[in-house]
Amino acid sequence: MRGVIGRSLGRLRDVLGSQTSALGLVLLIALAWTAFTTIGGSGFLGSFNLYSIGQLAARDAVLGMAQAMLVVVARMNLAVGGIGAVCTSLLGYLLVVAGAPLWLALPLVGVVGVLAALLMGFAELLTGLSSFVVTLAFLSVYSGGALLATGGRQFQITSPALTKLGNGTLLSPAICPLVAVAVACGVLCWLLYFRNSLGWKMLAVGANERAARASGVNLARVVLAAYALSGLLSAVAAIMNASYELNVNAGFGSDWLLPSFIAAVLGGVALTGGEVSVAGILLAALFYDSLQSGLTIINVPSYWIELPQGLVLLAAVLLDQARRRRARPREVAPPAGPATVAVPS
Amino acid sequence: MRRLFSTQWAPLLAATVLAGIVLGFATKQFGTAFNIYTILQTSAIYAAIGLAQMVVLAVADMSLAVGGIAGLVTIAVGGLYGVQHWPIGAAILAGVALGLACGLVNGLIIAGMDLSGFIVTLATGTAFTGIAYGATSSIPYSNIPSVLVSLGQGRVSFFSYLLVPAIAMTVAVGAGFRWLPIGRALLAVGGSREAALLSGISRERAIIVAHALSGLLAGIAAVMYIGVLESATPATGSEWLIISFAVPIIGGTALVGGEAPAAGCFVAAIVLAAINDVLIVLNVNTEAVQMAEGLLIFAAVISGKLGQSVGRPSLIGKKPLRTAGSGGA
Repeated sequence: MRGVIGRSLGRLRDVLGSQTSALGLVLLIALAWTAFTTIGGSGFLGSFNLYSIGQLAARDAVLGMAQAMLVVVARMNLAVGGIGAVCTSLLGYLLVVAGAPLWLALPLVGVVGVLAALLMGFAELLTGLSSFVVTLAFLSVYSGGALLATGGRQFQITSPALTKLGNGTLLSPAICPLVAVAVACGVLCWLLYFRNSLGWKMLAVGANERAARASGVNLARVVLAAYALSGLLSAVAAIMNASYELNVNAGFGSDWLLPSFIAAVLGGVALTGGEVSVAGILLAALFYDSLQSGLTIINVPSYWIELPQGLVLLAAVLLDQARRRRARPREVAPPAGPATVAVPS
Repeated sequence: MRRLFSTQWAPLLAATVLAGIVLGFATKQFGTAFNIYTILQTSAIYAAIGLAQMVVLAVADMSLAVGGIAGLVTIAVGGLYGVQHWPIGAAILAGVALGLACGLVNGLIIAGMDLSGFIVTLATGTAFTGIAYGATSSIPYSNIPSVLVSLGQGRVSFFSYLLVPAIAMTVAVGAGFRWLPIGRALLAVGGSREAALLSGISRERAIIVAHALSGLLAGIAAVMYIGVLESATPATGSEWLIISFAVPIIGGTALVGGEAPAAGCFVAAIVLAAINDVLIVLNVNTEAVQMAEGLLIFAAVISGKLGQSVGRPSLIGKKPLRTAGSGGA
């Protein structure tokens, strides 16, 4: 009985906890939008600007989800951009050079994204190395390989359906159809994490790998699934990116690492694993791209754009850690005995 | 002598030298004094970058801010000399001190908030780069003192002058880790946090010192590179991330901390620079270099892993981001 109550209390706290971070992000976005409208004029809330914010934020949200897939299982994927480069190049090649139809090209790109990530997963499990070094090595292999294979050539995508996806409108002229793609990915991720046993197992592995293993979770299978899904989402992000840029090359993905971590960390995904907020990721991406766009609107020169990116991530990390530290004594609350120094197992 | 050959990088060096000799006979360009000078010039920079990463790996942490710090130091030196008309010595000192300060900031945040170096330095590294771009409006300083140019491009036959600071750094770092109490303390913390804790060495202090040292070394690397480029650009360091890990890892630095093979770093730098050069001499695409680096990192960590076989349990090996005390929930 106590277990049941404890569990439902914990569940309630989880829900409330994730909602407070999402609520905070909503406030943050409202604040930023108000500030940018006040300083920069109504141009910020113009449908043209909102459209481009949504277009960029949609991709960044999916990147955040791709990163979160592995962060949730206490790993990381430095190669989101490497997989992105491979997938973008392949998409360009299939559509432009090989003349493949879209219904064939898109699934193929997805499959390649999954395989590229699975390869890293196998490499990690077989060698026992950290995901950091494995994905770092594969980042340079994939991005170098994509550049090498394409010889740095540009692919001008002309597919009308893809153009419509990235540059058309949905319901209102202020909404890019890509927003729907991001939200759909978000819903699927939410269903995975909170309504599916694989998602629960991923969260369990991230929270405590040993305990999860001891309670019968097939670690290899769960970790590989996380890699595969991270690769799939990277491929989706690559397709989204290509759908609005249209003129693509293997250099795509080289700047994905930072937004992927900003969306995940600012969105409330615990870097230590075992905790995720899908709404947080979506909102964090929206905030990040609102900030980028807003700074341009209030005439901050483009060469000052990179500093706030770093500061936002730093602030997110510090705030998150401060919150965790405040929350931890209550959460763990060792009932008796001396306060021991916690050492990693 | 036996120990020399049992180190991880010895076979790598032997293979490289052998390949170099073969290539020297096979192609006309490779064996020339000028080409060897180019390789050594690049390896000196690689070694400095690698050492900046190695000192943090030694305490089982990492820094993604090596490049960001280098960019900031580069424009600081360029700006102080070119715009503020400081004497070059003072500008270099100020720049290197700035590197140290940046590293110190990283260390203080990581140790103070008990965070992983990965995410903190990803953020601060971006911020440092951002400051460098913002402060210069993305325009490089082209007024470069002749001292730095002759350091970066000077040579006696094949001997690049840059080898002097690179070797000095390697020896100083190697000796510091071997003989100085603080160096040993860093390795102790890297080797086993529990043991270090029990023997009274503060992990926080070790992290702070390691990151500060990393900033200092990144600053020196940046100063060395200004003369090579003959330009002080904020873009310096933007491509250093992979090389900064490739050099120490191929040089035999364990990712689990507790090791700081400075000489190994130096050899790995030469190997990587030589591979780079060979691929260019053979007219292979430069992108292949990037792929080769990735594959080499992988080969190196795996061979290191096999060499260690059943060593101590890995701290960051399996779970790089797990901070102390997060096992609950």
